[in-house]
Amino acid sequence: MLRHFDAELRDLKFSLLAMAGQVEEMLHLTQQSLSERSNHKAEKVSQLDKYVDEAELKLDQACIDLLALRAPFASDLRLIASSLKIVPELERIGDHCCNIARRALILNVQPSVLPGDDLERLGADTQSMVHRAMDAFINGDPDMARAVIAEDDRIDALYLHIFSELLRGMLGDPLCIERSSHLIIVIKNWERIADVATNIAEEVLFILEGVNVKHSYLQAPNP
Amino acid sequence: MLACKDLKIDFDKKVVLKGVSLHFPANKISAIIGPSGCGKSTLLRAFNRMHDLTRGAHVTGSVTLNGQEIYTPGEDPVLVRRRIGMVFQKPNPFPTLSIFENTISGLRLSGERNSARLKDVAEQSLMDAALWDEVKDRLRSNPTTLSGGQQQRLCIARALAVNPEVLLMDEPCSALDPIATAKIEELMFRLRERLTLVIVTHNMQQAARASDLTAFLWMGELVEAGDTEMIFTSPKKSMTEDYITGRFG
Repeated sequence: MLRHFDAELRDLKFSLLAMAGQVEEMLHLTQQSLSERSNHKAEKVSQLDKYVDEAELKLDQACIDLLALRAPFASDLRLIASSLKIVPELERIGDHCCNIARRALILNVQPSVLPGDDLERLGADTQSMVHRAMDAFINGDPDMARAVIAEDDRIDALYLHIFSELLRGMLGDPLCIERSSHLIIVIKNWERIADVATNIAEEVLFILEGVNVKHSYLQAPNP
Repeated sequence: MLACKDLKIDFDKKVVLKGVSLHFPANKISAIIGPSGCGKSTLLRAFNRMHDLTRGAHVTGSVTLNGQEIYTPGEDPVLVRRRIGMVFQKPNPFPTLSIFENTISGLRLSGERNSARLKDVAEQSLMDAALWDEVKDRLRSNPTTLSGGQQQRLCIARALAVNPEVLLMDEPCSALDPIATAKIEELMFRLRERLTLVIVTHNMQQAARASDLTAFLWMGELVEAGDTEMIFTSPKKSMTEDYITGRFG
């Protein structure tokens, strides 16, 4: 039986997906602002953040309205409750992009201090995590959500590797301390975006399977 | 603890319950939900042998209270109903008796004649039913002067006066406004401390907010039972999911 409520839930999912689309555009521009040393793209990131903030307000209200007016249960309840948590996660990604873009404006006028493609790989892999977390949400794919969660450790390791490289560089050449400090903030923001993608994937698993996989160390049986 | 095992009920060969097994723990509120005609009220009525009064009703299987079979031949149904009280959908105080006499009517029927004890029990039962403050100055009034919610609490006081172990409630709030409903639900939470409560309700919100355990029946069969939190957030059976989200049918 198709309910009017189903159409409202479909609208909620589409709106959330549209917000995620804006955030992915911000991620893409952020990555390019660094790799192409494009100040124009860095400034565009900050401009797009306004639309993500507006989407957050609209989706917050939509979720509250559905909870109040429809008193949902089971999968409907899980979808709305988790959407209410995914929305600020997406907004947070937008803020991290703005943080990186601000540093890009400073770094773009200075020589590079990081050889190799580690920084680009960190950005690309983090973007991919966000994209796949949202794909898992829209396609109802728990395996993909689990794969995103599993990938966070690899991103953490890459972050630590780059951090060590930057530290080593600063110890060897004090002239690159300022640039390296800005880059440390950049990689920290990428690493946080990966954490946020993991949070979204955890919410997707809750929506799909009704299981809470957060803080698994607290849920492990006592020895 | 109240329990039933392989409980089957038919009325003139028309099967309404098809072998339901459930247990209702003490000091918990258990809700029975399901669409109209699924057998909820039939199940509830079996627990205090109400079907004994229905011509053509045929009950098989087992119903136990604290391990004791209530359908044992020779077991007095009146004594069973004293241990397992019932409150109905429509408040049904005796219209020719006062509020006071309504409250102690069960106790009088059981032979209690001590007026001091009757007075004490009436006061305590009305207090337990959260009605005392509203009626203490008009105990001799006719119960029809009370609001629907007050009448329902009077019926609960009447049931409590014989000190039951179980209270069965068949859609007790369906005729009440939200304020009266909230009072009944608060009362249920208080009574849970000393009773086993089983409630039949069509109201999903009420089952979710006022019960500890929920059982979902469909066409005379148990589909799923478990913690209310689980049933209303992550039910295991798709049929339960479809029913509580309104996709059923």
